[in-house]
Amino acid sequence: MTRLHPFTLLAIAGALPALAWILPAPVGGLATAVVALALTLTPGASPGSTNTVTAVSPGSRPGLVVFRTALLTAAPFWLFLLLLHDLPTTIAIGLRVTTMVASFVWVVGALPPPRLVEAMVAAGWSASVAYVFAATLAAAPVLRARARRIADAQRCRGLSARGGLAHRLRALWALALPLILSALHEVDERALALETRRLVPGARRTSLSPPPDRGAERLARWGLVAACAAALGWRLR
Amino acid sequence: MTRLILERVTFRYPATEAPALEDVSLEVKGGEVVALVGSVGAGASTLLLVAGDLAPRVVGGRLEGRVSFDGDGPRAIVLPTPWTQLSGMAFTVWDEVAFGPANLGLPRDEISRQVDQAVVRLDLEALTSRDPTTLSGGELQRVIVAGILAMRPALLLLDEPTAELDPVGARTLWKLVRTLAGEGTAIVVATSELDALPAITDRVVWLERGRVAATGPAALLASDALVVANMGTTVAAVWRAAGLPAPYPLTVAHAAQRWERR
Repeated sequence: MTRLHPFTLLAIAGALPALAWILPAPVGGLATAVVALALTLTPGASPGSTNTVTAVSPGSRPGLVVFRTALLTAAPFWLFLLLLHDLPTTIAIGLRVTTMVASFVWVVGALPPPRLVEAMVAAGWSASVAYVFAATLAAAPVLRARARRIADAQRCRGLSARGGLAHRLRALWALALPLILSALHEVDERALALETRRLVPGARRTSLSPPPDRGAERLARWGLVAACAAALGWRLR
Repeated sequence: MTRLILERVTFRYPATEAPALEDVSLEVKGGEVVALVGSVGAGASTLLLVAGDLAPRVVGGRLEGRVSFDGDGPRAIVLPTPWTQLSGMAFTVWDEVAFGPANLGLPRDEISRQVDQAVVRLDLEALTSRDPTTLSGGELQRVIVAGILAMRPALLLLDEPTAELDPVGARTLWKLVRTLAGEGTAIVVATSELDALPAITDRVVWLERGRVAATGPAALLASDALVVANMGTTVAAVWRAAGLPAPYPLTVAHAAQRWERR
């Protein structure tokens, strides 16, 4: 799956949520959620790399970690929906949200940002626009890795995240504040570093190793677009 | 010919009234190494950002005075924290070093040549296929410096470039700085590693609270004013602390000569 062209991976990750919302509930949402969750079980994300969601659990089976991450991320949405709606609506929206979450988690795990940049640059996109896309994919795993480091550091200084709710909330504050501040500080420094390495608006970057884009994949991408359009047409009929 | 000129530059960061730099004038030519010394907050890093055209263009703030740069290559800065300078867009060290040249839109074979040369200069041959995120701080610092050198900058700005390096790595880097200057690169370096400066710098600029307090050759690091301000070399400081007469020796070799002549 990871050998697919980045645009194909993005097309799949975009088409599934689109179909989830277009197709009638709950069958449409169920079908797309099953497909999206099945994708998270495919071997794709490389363990140990900070570019992937699997980096959060070194030593675990990559596919299973991505699957678990998708379920754990989707779970709170189900809880909120259940509080706000009746059961049929909860199932209808919950399956769609699960599809969105699973698709995103899967594509973050399966698509290394450098490959996306190479593909976008090869397709004629500006390097800085490509970087924004890739940085979005990379942000969640990077923040999780940093949160883990901050949690370790705070634990060394005696902070315990165990105990009652009030105690846990205080611990959360002690973890969240350094995470936010360090992220903001890093944004400044990273902007300077990227600027000095000439990642500037309008830069025409040389693509070093563009991923191959086979005709069959291009066709499949258009097929996904056509499927979404056809589904929309059918629903609006 | 590379030439950086700062004329009566005053710079204030956004939402601050106190200037980070005040009435600073400086000229650096190709082939010259200028060292900025000063305590924390003296303005050395800010001066590098101004010289690198990053302040106020990227960081914001207000600039008074004139900054001009001529050169047949870009001006590039190495910041003190290597982990925030990673592109995040590279699978390998080689790709990371190639990030800058690729952004310049150079042809692939030229990028390849420049990257290979930078890799050799920073002794990174054994690391080229490693994932940059798995490197140590010192290795990462060398990768970042290599990435900047691969862009062939006409003006190289170094902010605490040896902060993450071990003594051997630091010596290699200082030697490289001198080599680059020999090839015509203009170099401005802000460092607290004062003992390394006599061997590499042509000029020392002492900054205090954003102002140029003194400027002169490397021997300035053995002057009474800088030694008293803890901005002199260790040898000069020890000489003074021992109550030995001025002028203070600049390096261990100078001290040995003076000691033998006593």
